[in-house]
Amino acid sequence: MTTGIVFDIKEFTVHDGPGIRTTVFMKGCPLACSWCHNPEGQSARPQVIRGLAGERLAGQEYTAEQLAALLNQQVSILSDNEGGITFSGGEPLLQAEFVAEVIDLLDEVHILLDTSGYGSKRSFQKLLERSDLVFFDLKLIDPALHQQYTGCSNDLILDNLKTLGASGMPFVIRVPLVPGVTDTDENLAAIARTVNGLPGLIRVDLLPYNQAAGSKYQYAGMEFKPGYDETRSLNINLMPFERSGVKVCVA
Amino acid sequence: MNERLERMKRRVRAHEHRSLRQSAPIDILAECEAENLSWPRRVARLVQRQCEAEQVVIDPDEQIVFTRTLPAAVPPVYSSEDWDKLTAGRTLHELGPVSNICADWGLLLSQGLLGRKRVALEARQRLFNDASSVEFLDCAIQTIDAVMGLAERYASQARTMGRDDLAGILENVPAHPARTFHEALQALRFCHAVVWLGGNYHVGLGRFDQYMGPYLQADLASGRLTSQAAEDLLAEFFISLNKDSDLYPGVQQGDNGQTLTLGGVTPSGEPAVNELTYMVLRVAQQVVMIDPKINLRISARTDLELLSLATELTRLGLGFPQYSNDDVVIPALAAHGYQLEDARDYVVAACWEFIIPGRGMEVVNIGAVSFPAAVDCALREGLAGGEDFDQILERVKTHVRGQVERLAEAYSRLLLPPAPYYSIFMRACLEQGRDLSQGLKYNNFGIHGAGSSNAADALAAVQKFIFDEHDVMPDELLSALDSNFVGHDPLRQKLEEQGPKVGNNDPAADTFLVKLFDDLAEACESQPRTPRGGILRPGTGSAMYYIWLASGHEGMREPVVGATADGRLQGQPFSANLAPSPGVRVRGPISTLQSFSRIDYQRICNGGPVTMELSDSVFRDHESVRKTAMLVRTFAQLGCQQLQLNSLSLDTLLDARVHPENHKNLIVRVWGWSGYFCELAPEYQEHIIARHFYDIQ
Repeated sequence: MTTGIVFDIKEFTVHDGPGIRTTVFMKGCPLACSWCHNPEGQSARPQVIRGLAGERLAGQEYTAEQLAALLNQQVSILSDNEGGITFSGGEPLLQAEFVAEVIDLLDEVHILLDTSGYGSKRSFQKLLERSDLVFFDLKLIDPALHQQYTGCSNDLILDNLKTLGASGMPFVIRVPLVPGVTDTDENLAAIARTVNGLPGLIRVDLLPYNQAAGSKYQYAGMEFKPGYDETRSLNINLMPFERSGVKVCVA
Repeated sequence: MNERLERMKRRVRAHEHRSLRQSAPIDILAECEAENLSWPRRVARLVQRQCEAEQVVIDPDEQIVFTRTLPAAVPPVYSSEDWDKLTAGRTLHELGPVSNICADWGLLLSQGLLGRKRVALEARQRLFNDASSVEFLDCAIQTIDAVMGLAERYASQARTMGRDDLAGILENVPAHPARTFHEALQALRFCHAVVWLGGNYHVGLGRFDQYMGPYLQADLASGRLTSQAAEDLLAEFFISLNKDSDLYPGVQQGDNGQTLTLGGVTPSGEPAVNELTYMVLRVAQQVVMIDPKINLRISARTDLELLSLATELTRLGLGFPQYSNDDVVIPALAAHGYQLEDARDYVVAACWEFIIPGRGMEVVNIGAVSFPAAVDCALREGLAGGEDFDQILERVKTHVRGQVERLAEAYSRLLLPPAPYYSIFMRACLEQGRDLSQGLKYNNFGIHGAGSSNAADALAAVQKFIFDEHDVMPDELLSALDSNFVGHDPLRQKLEEQGPKVGNNDPAADTFLVKLFDDLAEACESQPRTPRGGILRPGTGSAMYYIWLASGHEGMREPVVGATADGRLQGQPFSANLAPSPGVRVRGPISTLQSFSRIDYQRICNGGPVTMELSDSVFRDHESVRKTAMLVRTFAQLGCQQLQLNSLSLDTLLDARVHPENHKNLIVRVWGWSGYFCELAPEYQEHIIARHFYDIQ
């Protein structure tokens, strides 16, 4: 039986996908985005969070059967309310075997994969074919900048985006707008070029920078080093998308 | 709202009208004693003198009048020595006067006070040789005349001021049946406010959309009113309800029971939602004040449009509407001896309890069983005596039963003061010549079970760690509880973090939640009929007990409970109503509703809501309003009984404590009622801040 590590399960997540959803946050992420607001999702291992209300352990191990049984308790409620289960993280692709096994054990329900796109083609395929909708993050198209701000190359991400585009699966592109990093005219134009014309693209969501991004770091015993000026005003430029006819929303 | 209404609201919130208040209450004791009046006659005299002492206030902005000028204190009708003699050996409920019941306001609107007077006169002729009936009817008539006198003074002042529009209305109502929506609102404003003047409190407004709806309908149909003009009148009526509410008694300001109930089904079972149902929800959104507190009756089939409109109020952070599930409430009432037509006509009392307007003289909250105390006693006795877990559970049941018996015994000596004026608006009082305090069709008592989640979590922890896993020794737990966990921090953490918790849809904890309420139901069912001919209705509310049980209060019969086996420290509050224990992490509202749906609400029928706080970040976009409406529908579909859904921002609350001056209008739901955050005592503010809330990304 495959096991996986989950750092949180949240019900009634209303801003991520259709209907009433329950989101499973998988622990561990290959990227280390300097603006990450879920630092407890980065490490693949359980870790202690020291908050104002005392300590708790973030990260619980489940067998696929355990997690599926837990989720199956409410699947019919989620389905009745136009929703379903979202797998997010961290990065679900990092635990693709486990997530796939959980999905296979779930009763019929809408599955949303919320991914950075960073993972092997095999992992991505495995979860893609089990999903009904994908939220796919695109941060930086320039390979060097991507390496600089996330600690990783974007090769795998762009490859998986091609796979996604070719699959016909409906998907939403999510772009975190980070001042001076991802919100530049060049980057937004490059993103628009990259996604334009992909079948299945529903829209692009621009997610304005969350000034509270650093708030959880100290509780996780980590240091927040953004590497950019948090206070700089955002460049919310919809033009590149509108010009190429790509539907765009600001969340 | 238009500029006139905005101005009225601003002035009410600025308390401008309070400068018109008289400084001292009237004194009627001397005349009561000189004339050696009976108790009913003293109460009638009180209502009469209060009406006479009211000074007429007509603000040029107002289209619906009455502003109370008498102070909060209701003058005594007996000297304290005589009062002590009168009440010796008897139990008084709370402050004494009849409270927290609901009139049938439709009687007022359809018959007018003169119509009610004719009924009283007819009964007086018929019952002429029954002295107590004649006395009661004379008292009722005396108060009717007093209220009409007050209205006449308002009418003539309006004439003098050149307000012929207003004078015309006041010359018709409340004496005669209301002819228009405007008149109906004015009649209700007068007659409702006078109930308070007589010392009765938690005076509900009942099924507002049902008895008021036909007047609106007729005016809109005939073109007498536009929809906008009707909304303006309704908004003014709502603002007027907020004028005097600081004079009304309650545990905290805002706890005044000015509730109304919307929706549901008619007595014959037809859908009852009408145009006024929607209008009330729309107008409350514009008025944004703490009164009236709105209850919405729904079912698994209620449409999302209505629920979305109601959710807009939740989004504003008003703490209402509170939802009751007809699918569960009506059959439960019917199973407890309520005629089906009456059960379908239920309203929600000041907080949560289900009562029948015009037909219930029920005391819906005679007290609370302290589940934490029952569990604490059982654990101490059982663990010290080396008993097994089943024996401990048996002890819990015995302690719950003991508490119920003590409450029932105290209330077997209940003494209710006469209320001749209030009786006018009850079914059959005038016809039978009987004051409502002598009993109405339904005369039940309610008992709530408080602190249920903490108590269930404590039992679950003991079962798991002591009896299943043999991980904790009984002595170790007992000494940790005695020392408030000082020196036992690892144990406390284990109990708190690894014990099963109510709210996670985990049978290991929910089983005990269900069991505690079953014990309560069994204890209530085993009691004989009360001397008032009623039963005991078990409920799930907890009012102020979540604080009183933890830190003590003179009003409590049960002992304060120290540290508890769920890892809770001494002095920390217990769970309020039906909610996970404070500080417990749960996955969210779906699991919480599933946990609380396990309770057998066909036995636990007194009321008491699942209470959930949503972070205001939920409501960033329009789609989330619809999703929250779906959550409300899910509550009904799961078979839960009652739901109180709040929206609050932790940052706002924290800031309001530091800078109250910037948050004068910040409204929060406290237990069964909403109040202004900055007008609450610090311990209630603390608890609202600490209360479990769902942080949604």
